[in-house]
Amino acid sequence: MSAFKIDNPVIEVENLRFYYGDSRAIHGVDIAFPEKQVTALIGPSGCGKSTLLRCFNRMNDLIDISRVEGKVLLDGENIYDKSTDIIELRRQVGMVFQKSNPFPKSIYENVIYGLRIAGEKDKKLFEERVETSLKGAALWDEVKDRLHESALGLSGGQMQRLCIARAIAVNPKVILMDEPCSALDPKSTARVEELIGELRENFTIIIVTHNMQQAARVSDNTAFLFEGNLIEYGLTDQLFVKPQNKQTEDYITGRFG
Amino acid sequence: MSRLLDICVYSWSWLATIKIFLVIGCLLWFLLSRGLPTLSKELFFGDAPVLQAIFGQVRVWDALWPACVGTLLLVLLAGLIAVPLGIASGIYLACYASSPFKRILSMSVELLAGTPSIVMGLFGFALILFLRDTFLPEANTSLLLASLCLALLILPYLIFTTQVALESLADEYQLIGPSLGLTQVQTVFHILLPAAGRSILGGVVLAIGRAAEDTAVIMLTGVIANAGLPHGLFGKFEALPFRIYYLAAEYQSPAELNSAYGTALVLLALTGLLYSGAFALHKTLEWQWNQH
Repeated sequence: MSAFKIDNPVIEVENLRFYYGDSRAIHGVDIAFPEKQVTALIGPSGCGKSTLLRCFNRMNDLIDISRVEGKVLLDGENIYDKSTDIIELRRQVGMVFQKSNPFPKSIYENVIYGLRIAGEKDKKLFEERVETSLKGAALWDEVKDRLHESALGLSGGQMQRLCIARAIAVNPKVILMDEPCSALDPKSTARVEELIGELRENFTIIIVTHNMQQAARVSDNTAFLFEGNLIEYGLTDQLFVKPQNKQTEDYITGRFG
Repeated sequence: MSRLLDICVYSWSWLATIKIFLVIGCLLWFLLSRGLPTLSKELFFGDAPVLQAIFGQVRVWDALWPACVGTLLLVLLAGLIAVPLGIASGIYLACYASSPFKRILSMSVELLAGTPSIVMGLFGFALILFLRDTFLPEANTSLLLASLCLALLILPYLIFTTQVALESLADEYQLIGPSLGLTQVQTVFHILLPAAGRSILGGVVLAIGRAAEDTAVIMLTGVIANAGLPHGLFGKFEALPFRIYYLAAEYQSPAELNSAYGTALVLLALTGLLYSGAFALHKTLEWQWNQH
């Protein structure tokens, strides 16, 4: 793999190995993610891209037969250290899932529910967060007059942007997106992709996608994974135009996957 | 050919479904026709004056009132014991237990669910015998013991429904809490339980219905025919299902048998009342969850 220089990494991964029970799903991955850029993880189904993504906020901890070896440094601190506060980690590294999953509550309540449960009571802060988060998720103009109506009345694309608003309300540094558009129609997808471009100004984004055009459209850097190995990592423009590796070339030209 | 098969399967499943209405209809009609005429002040309170009977100032003989109170208390106590335990175990199984331990636990719950109620009653009875022989010579079958055994009887249903309700939430729904930086406890209580509340309450309602109707457990653990109103946790008591059993087995006159049908009707109404109470509670909970 060609050395890809990252000047200001937020997350650095060193020799990461991931096991489901006895079988190894990720075989020693080294990768770093630059601040306030969008990095796409691509690869065929089962290549370990989602698993890798979930290593960055220790979501895999919730699977009890899983095991991680190696290091993931967030701002230089290994998040797999014993002293890591997982709750705090997950606040810093937020996540958006494939299917939008708003609570059956009002739009307003959806955005601040996480804060409210975590014990925050300040109404002013809530109002401010609702506005900034919804603006950040490019949803404010569409919903500002019906903040107190149920979120379940929103369209699929709006729900997904609400989930993004919910994630940014906690004020994370990094946002992980696991195939955020795969359940959306093309128009909503375009809207969310546009949003990802805007979010880049304030957040570091790592997005898993099986859609190569999407990766090409939204990301600054792209990493290609295959069978649990990082095959190639580089600037998106370069990787898609002039891949260094034969496997990468085969994949992006559609010869397999 | 396949069209014929289609029609056959359709009609068969239709008939099979209709049979449910038929059975319920016949049952209700039968109970109503025999039981309704017996519903009267006398059925509930016998010769005793109503108000004094209700407040227990006068002893009620050969009537339903003490059995109604007994059954209500029994169900209430069994519920108070079993519901928090059952839901908590369900939460543990769904959200905390590691897989090998979970298998053992689930098997134990299934075993408990498969235990016939008479065995549960025998267990209670044996417990009292043991206590009498050892450190509590005064111990006797009582309302508390019957409630405990009933609680054991309905516990597995509660555990199952809670566990299944929580586990059947979409995977991603289970991950929202952690992804927002909430602790496991916060996730369980503020996201998962409210979302699963509907199904859990359904389980609670069924379990309570089961507790109200069971006769075998209480027969060995403290119910008697003419106990009057229950005198506290350690006293004997009467209960509706036992009264039905007792009247049907030992009636002296057709009128007495008919009063058994009346009693059955009352038990049915009481269970219905419990169900609708639980339903109302469920609606309130859902409304609250959808509000804030």
